[in-house]
Parts: sequence; C-alpha cells; structure tokens
Amino acid sequence: MSVSILGSRESGQNIRDTNVRAVQAVANIVKSSLGPNGLDKMLVDEIGDVVISNDGATILRSLEVQHPAAKVLVELSRLQDQEVGDGTTSVVIVAAELLKRANDLVKYKIHPTTIIAGYRLAMKESIQYIKDYLSVKTETLGKDAILNVAKTSLNSKLIGAESDHFANMIVNCVEAVGIVGPNKDVKYPIKSIKVLKCIGLSAKESVHLNGFALMTGRTAQGMPTSIKNARIACLDFNLNKFKLQMGIQVLVNDAKNLEKIRIRELEITKERIQKVLKAGANVVLVTKAIDDFALKYFVEAGAIAVRRVDKKDIRKIAKQCGAEVLITLMNNEGEEVFNESSLGSAEEVTEERLGDNDFIFIKGMKKSSSQTLILRGANEFMLDETERSVHDAICVVKRVLESKSVVVGGGAVETALSIYLDSFARTLGSKEQLAISEFAESLLVIPKTLAINAAQDACDLLAKMKMYHAASQSSSEEKKQEYKYVGLDLANGKVRNNLKAGVLEPTISKIKSLKFATEAAISILRIDDLIELAPKPEKERDGH
Amino acid sequence: MLLDPMGGIVMTNDGNAILREIDVKHPAAKSMIELSRTQDDEVGDGTTSVIILAGELMTVSEPFFTMKIHPIIIVSSYFKAMDHALKVAEKIAREISVENHEEIADVIHSCIGTKFSSRWGSLIVDLAVQAVKAVFINKNGKKEVDIKRYAKVEKIPGGNLEDSRVLNGVMFNKDVTHPKMRRFIQNPRIMLLDCPLEYKKAESMTNVEMTKEEDFAEILRQEEEEVCKLCQAIMKFNPDIVITEKGVSDIAQHFLLKQNISVIRRIRKTDNNRIARVSGATIVNRPEELQESDIGTKCKRFEIKLVGDEYYTFMEECEEPKACSILLRGGTKDVLNEIERNLQDAMSVARNIILDPKLVPGGGAVEMHVATELTKIANTIEGIEQWPFLAAATAFEVIPRTLAQNCGCNVIRIVTELRSKHAEDSKDAPYWGIDGNEGKLADMRVIKIWEPLVVKKQTFKTAIESAAMLLRIDNVVSGISKKEKKQGPAGNIEDAEI
Repeated sequence: MSVSILGSRESGQNIRDTNVRAVQAVANIVKSSLGPNGLDKMLVDEIGDVVISNDGATILRSLEVQHPAAKVLVELSRLQDQEVGDGTTSVVIVAAELLKRANDLVKYKIHPTTIIAGYRLAMKESIQYIKDYLSVKTETLGKDAILNVAKTSLNSKLIGAESDHFANMIVNCVEAVGIVGPNKDVKYPIKSIKVLKCIGLSAKESVHLNGFALMTGRTAQGMPTSIKNARIACLDFNLNKFKLQMGIQVLVNDAKNLEKIRIRELEITKERIQKVLKAGANVVLVTKAIDDFALKYFVEAGAIAVRRVDKKDIRKIAKQCGAEVLITLMNNEGEEVFNESSLGSAEEVTEERLGDNDFIFIKGMKKSSSQTLILRGANEFMLDETERSVHDAICVVKRVLESKSVVVGGGAVETALSIYLDSFARTLGSKEQLAISEFAESLLVIPKTLAINAAQDACDLLAKMKMYHAASQSSSEEKKQEYKYVGLDLANGKVRNNLKAGVLEPTISKIKSLKFATEAAISILRIDDLIELAPKPEKERDGH
Repeated sequence: MLLDPMGGIVMTNDGNAILREIDVKHPAAKSMIELSRTQDDEVGDGTTSVIILAGELMTVSEPFFTMKIHPIIIVSSYFKAMDHALKVAEKIAREISVENHEEIADVIHSCIGTKFSSRWGSLIVDLAVQAVKAVFINKNGKKEVDIKRYAKVEKIPGGNLEDSRVLNGVMFNKDVTHPKMRRFIQNPRIMLLDCPLEYKKAESMTNVEMTKEEDFAEILRQEEEEVCKLCQAIMKFNPDIVITEKGVSDIAQHFLLKQNISVIRRIRKTDNNRIARVSGATIVNRPEELQESDIGTKCKRFEIKLVGDEYYTFMEECEEPKACSILLRGGTKDVLNEIERNLQDAMSVARNIILDPKLVPGGGAVEMHVATELTKIANTIEGIEQWPFLAAATAFEVIPRTLAQNCGCNVIRIVTELRSKHAEDSKDAPYWGIDGNEGKLADMRVIKIWEPLVVKKQTFKTAIESAAMLLRIDNVVSGISKKEKKQGPAGNIEDAEI
C-alpha cells in the first residue's frame, strides 16, 4: 500500500479535472472583458472599496484565488502585465482553453507528456510562422500604424470612446521620451512618463504636458507662482534647524554658551540656504523638510521652494534639467559650498491649480525627455481605470516603437495560426498530431470570444474567416495573400482586412502571450497528484 | 435634516452635503456619491443636478437591455450625445463683463435661489460677490481666485443674519494677551512673527554642568536676557501690534506692554497668511532679522470687540485687501452652517463667472434646449445608436421635470408646454424655462435666471461619464472570497443598476 500521509491526496484523472475546472472558472471571469465590446468588472473588497476594471491582470489580482491551479493563471496574467503590459485577458483565456482540450485528450488515453511535446512543437511552429509571415514592419505603414496600435489597445477600455484623443496623446508622449542607445537603437523608458490623476472635468480634457509635474504646492504662500528661466537646485537633505546626531550631547559650563549653540544651529541652515541662493537658484526642490524659519529667505529671494518631493521624482528632474542631487554641501576639503554647476535649468516653473489641488509644473527642461499625462475624469474609480488603460497603451506603443513590428488584431493571427497548424499537424505521423490540432483549435477561442462579446454570430464569422485564411495559405496569388490580414469587424458583424482598418497589435505581445499561455498550460498539465497536508495540530501549551 | 451616528445634526439642501453624510453600501451608489464630490471640488455648484442627471441616464438605458442592445453601443452613443450637448450649451452661452456687478449678482441669485438663505434675498449674494472681488487677483493675464485660502468665513452665533458682512480686511477669534494692552489702534504698524517669544532650547542635546549655586541664578538670568534681546529687536521697529503664531512668555509680554505694544499669540498659520496679505507685512521668523519692509502698514484700523461673549480681533479698512473674512451672524449653529454652505456655493459660482464669464439660461431652460437639439440631431444618426442617443436627449429633460415637481405644479402639463416652446423655431425658444417660485413658464432673460456655463458643462460631463462607466460593468464581484470566484459571468448587468 501507499505511504500514509497526514492530509488529503488526489491523483490521476481526478486532479486533472479539478484543475481544469478551477482554471476554467478563472478564465470565465475575465472572458467577457475581452475585445472592443468587452465589458468591465466591478470588484468590491471586504472593506467595501470598489475597483472598476477591464484589465485582466487587475481583475485577477483583486480576486483572492485559493485553488493552486487557478493561482498559476493569476500569476500568468501578472507576468504578461509585467513583460508586455497588455493582452492580459487573452493570455488567460488561451491557457484555459489549451488546458481544457488537453484534458479531453488525456481522457482518450493519450499520455500527458505526448500532449506536452505536441504543444511545445505547435508553439514553436506558430511563433516562427508569426515572425515569418504574419508580422508587418511598421516602416511600411507609417505613423498611423503606431496610432492604430494605441487605439486598438484603448478600444476595449472605458475610454475607448475617446481613443483618438488618448492615442494621439500617448504616441506623442512615448515618442518624446525616446533615448538613442549606444547601438543606435532607440529605447523608450516608460518610467519617464508620469501619469497624474486629477478629479474633475471630463476624460477628454486630459492633457499631455512636455515636462514634469509634481503633485505638491509651493511651500509658502509668499512665493511667486511662476518663474521663467528657472535655475533648479535639488537637495536631498533637510533644511531644518541643524541638529546633532542622536546620542551626542554638548556639555557647557557657561550658560551664555547655550544661546550661542542655539544661534549657531539657525545660522548653519541659513548659511546653507544662502549658498544655494547665491549660486543663482530660484527653484529649490528638497526631498525632506524645510523649517518655517527658513522659508523667509526663499520668499525674500523670490524663489520657489518645494518640500517633501518624492526621491524618485527629484532624481528624474535632476537628470533632465542637468542638476545634481546633493546629499550634502560638503566638498572634499570639508567646506560647505554650492557650485553653480549643480544647478539645472528649465524654461519655466509654475504652480497651477487643477481641480482642488495645486501642481508644480516644470516645463522646457534642458534635456527634456520627461513627459506628463494629466488624466481627468468624473470620479476616482474612473481615473484609476483610465490610468490602467493608459498604462497598457503606453506599454504597447513602446513595444511597437522598439520592435518596429506589428501583427493584425481582431482574431486574424489566431485564425491564421490555427489553419496553418492544422495543415502542419497532418504532416506528422505521430500522436503529437492530435495535440497540435487541438492546439490549433484552442487558438480559435480568441476570435470566438470576441464575436460572442460583441453579440455576433460566432460560428458564421469564424467560418468566413477560416475560409479567407485557408485561401491565403493555400495559394500564392498576390491578391489572396492579402487575405491573411482578414479579421473581425465587431461593430458590423463582418470580416474585413484589419490591416487596412488599422487594428494592430505588437508582434512581441502576441508571441509572448502565446509562449506564456502554453507554458502555463503545460505546467498545470504535468500535475497528476495533489497532496494537501493537514495543518500540524498545535501543541497544547501547559499552564505557563 | 440628517442625523449622523454621533447624534450631530446637519440641515441642508446642498446635494454634496447630504450625500456625504449618508452611509451607502452599494458600490455603484458609492460611485454616484463620488460624483457630487467631484462636482463640488471642480466648480462648487450643481451637486444635486449631477446626481439627478446621472441617475436618469441610467434609468433611460434600462429598456435597451431588455431590447438586447449591447452596452458598448449605449455607452458610445452617450459619449456622442455629450459632445453635442456641450456644443449646444456653448452656443447659447452669453458672455458678460466681469466688471458688471449686477449681472454677477443675478447669476448668484438664481443659483442660491433654492437654498435656505434665499429668504434673505440679496444678502448672501452681495457677500459672495464682495468676497470674491476682494480675493481676485489678475496678474499678467493669469486670473487667480483662491477662495479656499483667502476668503475665510467666521461664524458667530447670535445676532441677526442682517448683521453679516464682508470685512474690508480680516478678523479672527483672539484677544490680546494682556488686558492692559491697547484694543483700538488707528493706522497701526503690524509685525507678523512665526516664532515663539520665549526662551527656546536648542535642537541638539545640550547639557549645562552646574557646580556652584550662583550658576543656577546665572542661567535663569541668561534666559531672561535672551527674551529681553528678542523684545528689543522687535521694539527697534516700533510696531503697534505684534502677532505671532507661537507662544509669548510672560516676561516678553511685560517688556512689550511697557512699550505700549499689543500682542496676539497662537494665531493660526492660515490666519497669519491672510493678515500678511491684507496688511502688506511679511511673516518673519527671527526677530533679529527684521527689516523695515517687513512691517505692514496697509491696514488702517485695529480693533478688538466683544461679539457674543468672545473677543474678536478685527483688522479693517485696508488699502487693497487681497484677502477677506466674512462675518456671519445668525440664530443657531445649524442655521449658520447651512448659510455657510450656501455662501460657499455662491462664492464658487462667483469665482466661476469671474474666471470664465459665460452664462447659460437657468431654470431648466438649457437642459430643455439641449434635449430638443439632441432630438433633432438624433434623426441624422445611423444605426441602432440612434435609440440610446434619443434616450440621452430625453434624459436631459429630467432637470426641468424635477424643477416642476419640486415647485408643485402640474408636471406633465408644464413640461409639455416647455417642450413645445423649445420646439418653436423662434429666437427666444432656448430661453424658456421654469420659474420655480411661480410654477410657470418664463423667459429666463426676463426673470434673470442665469447659470455659469462651466457648471453646466461640468455637470453634463460628470453625469454622462459616470453613467457610461456603470453601464459597462457586467459583473460585480463582492466580498472577494472563494465562493465568489466560482461564479461565472452571468451577464448580470442589472446588478449595476441603482
């Protein structure tokens, strides 16, 4: 007999069925949020906080999933979010479908390892096929292509109705942060894009700002609200009264010296400020506190001082305006100096009121690569969701700009792959053939779900799409080659050439999501035993 | 009237104030409450109408679900309707000159007409206009009206509401520290400090080692001397009033009293900022660093009066006050609170007009006009989107309808009448609205009911966007537990309905 264990054990077909059920349940939750006609989910947590979202990763993250197999799926969408930023819903759906079909195969007594091998092969083939035949270089499509990519990503979201406006904003924004690397390839660090949320007005009034914005006001009301030709100093120490480190005591014999110490404390800070101001600084950003008494010097000098600036922000600002973040004024000789060279410059620094908050804008910095998007909207939930959508779109645009290659969306790629794999499967004489054709069939879940979400006739549309794609693959006629771009037109319930309609997605996102989905499915498929150990009974304590 | 769990009472007519107090459980309803907050933050008025409009937009969309029209289509046509509505509103807007006192007063009048304080007629209106004018700064083309910081409402129970006024300066609830100090000064020299006038310890740890008995006396004397030095630094400038945010020791009081200087201590930072603005003084932290330019002289009268049973400091007759206090008097605290809310609304309206001097006719006229125009436009829209678009158009009628309901007239008759008026092809058509007092139709230009365009625009935007957001939800996962996870997408859109 088997070894006895403390706890429960499930194995064989049983466990596979449970896993598939759990995974299917997770996929079902996000299923209806896929595509341009997908809807949102409202998530309420224990304390009653509300999240409204259309983003697969966000929805799954907010769910407290307990089943281990379902957890894998949650992790999967998170991974996709990190790596690509978009396509989090589709990756979950594909993985769940792959798993379901694999389970059916196992029931026909095909060993899981055979299926796994088949899936792996199919994945490799499809990635190759995407790269070779389905991807389109953006150079051939012009700038519109990038706009279209952003629009495609935004279309499924709450702000889909304003996708033109947002797509423009986002593309401009991402293009502006481009940095040319050493190998002449351009990198787009999305971290230099700051997204600020501000309640009020409408989504359409969201603006793109060339520069940096801080969500704080100036420290004293006496300071000017706008400074042209700003010279910026970034300090990473506090401008409080000077204080000796903890544990150091000063012992004085003469009481007069007490007062001297006190005055000296004030003087030290005053001197520091004056050194900074003397070097020509008229905007001083400090990560820590500024004492009230110190504010007067700034007010008198007509400078803006901002306290408690986020450290990350100050680093970014410093980098872009050419300033140096100083953690001390001390130089090598032990004297306190502030060099003019540590100052950065910007064309304008202003404080503006948006909604009920004050913002500090730093515009026209020397090495300006920083961009700010200010999002507006009716309420907080909406702003949060807008932020997530914008983040997705930014990621997508970045991917496309970096890899310069797109695929056609609207289910076109999946259908093409499915047709291709189906014929590929027939070239194999082994059992893998079955697995590959199941893989091909699974991919169709994306166009199917898209059509269902749009309340269209999925069977009819799918059949049409399949016909076009089969035609394009079986013939080498130029005209029929175009057919490989045929995808769904969900608004009208037809099929159309989605390359021309501008429904585009980054190639890398498709490839990665295929890879991740297959890997996740495989890892769950490999499980044939689940051992759940019962928690150890707590030892009873004696009286003490 | 609202009773909160602590037993406090709030009596109000302000949408935001009501909703803020209500404890709502349903997530969708919660998001509605957020709306009125947004509206309050952004424009400060129209908090009730935004909720009504958003609610109505949800209601009119309900039949479409039974008709199986996809929510996405409804949402996109709502957005289209919003675009058109904004354009229509813009078109009938009328620009006024900021200088025209009367016109601004008219607008505010119509806005707070519904409120409790409307009984006192123009009083609140005048207060609001005066206050906003006082804090209005036009600096090289940039208009700034900071009500939050520089227009302070001081409520003192007792007296008549008629005694309320806008001070040409500021006031605060403080008395001089010593009863012998002067309580009335003409043309005072004001000095503002934000440091204590007492002996301060150093920040670093400092210990004094005492070996002899005399040392102790020495230290005490030293401390006194320091305070004395501080006072001397102050006296050098010959101020009449010294106001500080921190404490003043007895000994410093003594020195200053001898020089006939009035001292006020522990004043709030915000109050100090306002005084700095009206008097032209700079807030100084170290008395040793005082300069002549830091002394404020723009305030001409300093007076401490006993109002009710508390002393209040008044600083009035300022040359060019860039801040002000509004003194409110009234029967009880609850009444005062409500009046304050009305006043805040009125001031926001005044601010909106000054910042963007465009007006639209009130009394439901603009909504009715938008509804009529949208209905016309709807005919040009192709496809199923036409239905929700038309529904959005009718949703706008909820405002005149509610107005009619609340003034107790025959709703159906009056709204129909209004609709037909608007459908007329005359130039006056867009200006017909409901006169809330009479319950009759009236030309809004004649009875002078106007509202700022910004408020209306914000109302439309907020209402439609939030309705769209709620419509897109097809699944509510609450409590987030294992049980909920198993639940499939049932397409239960009705859950999102209020």
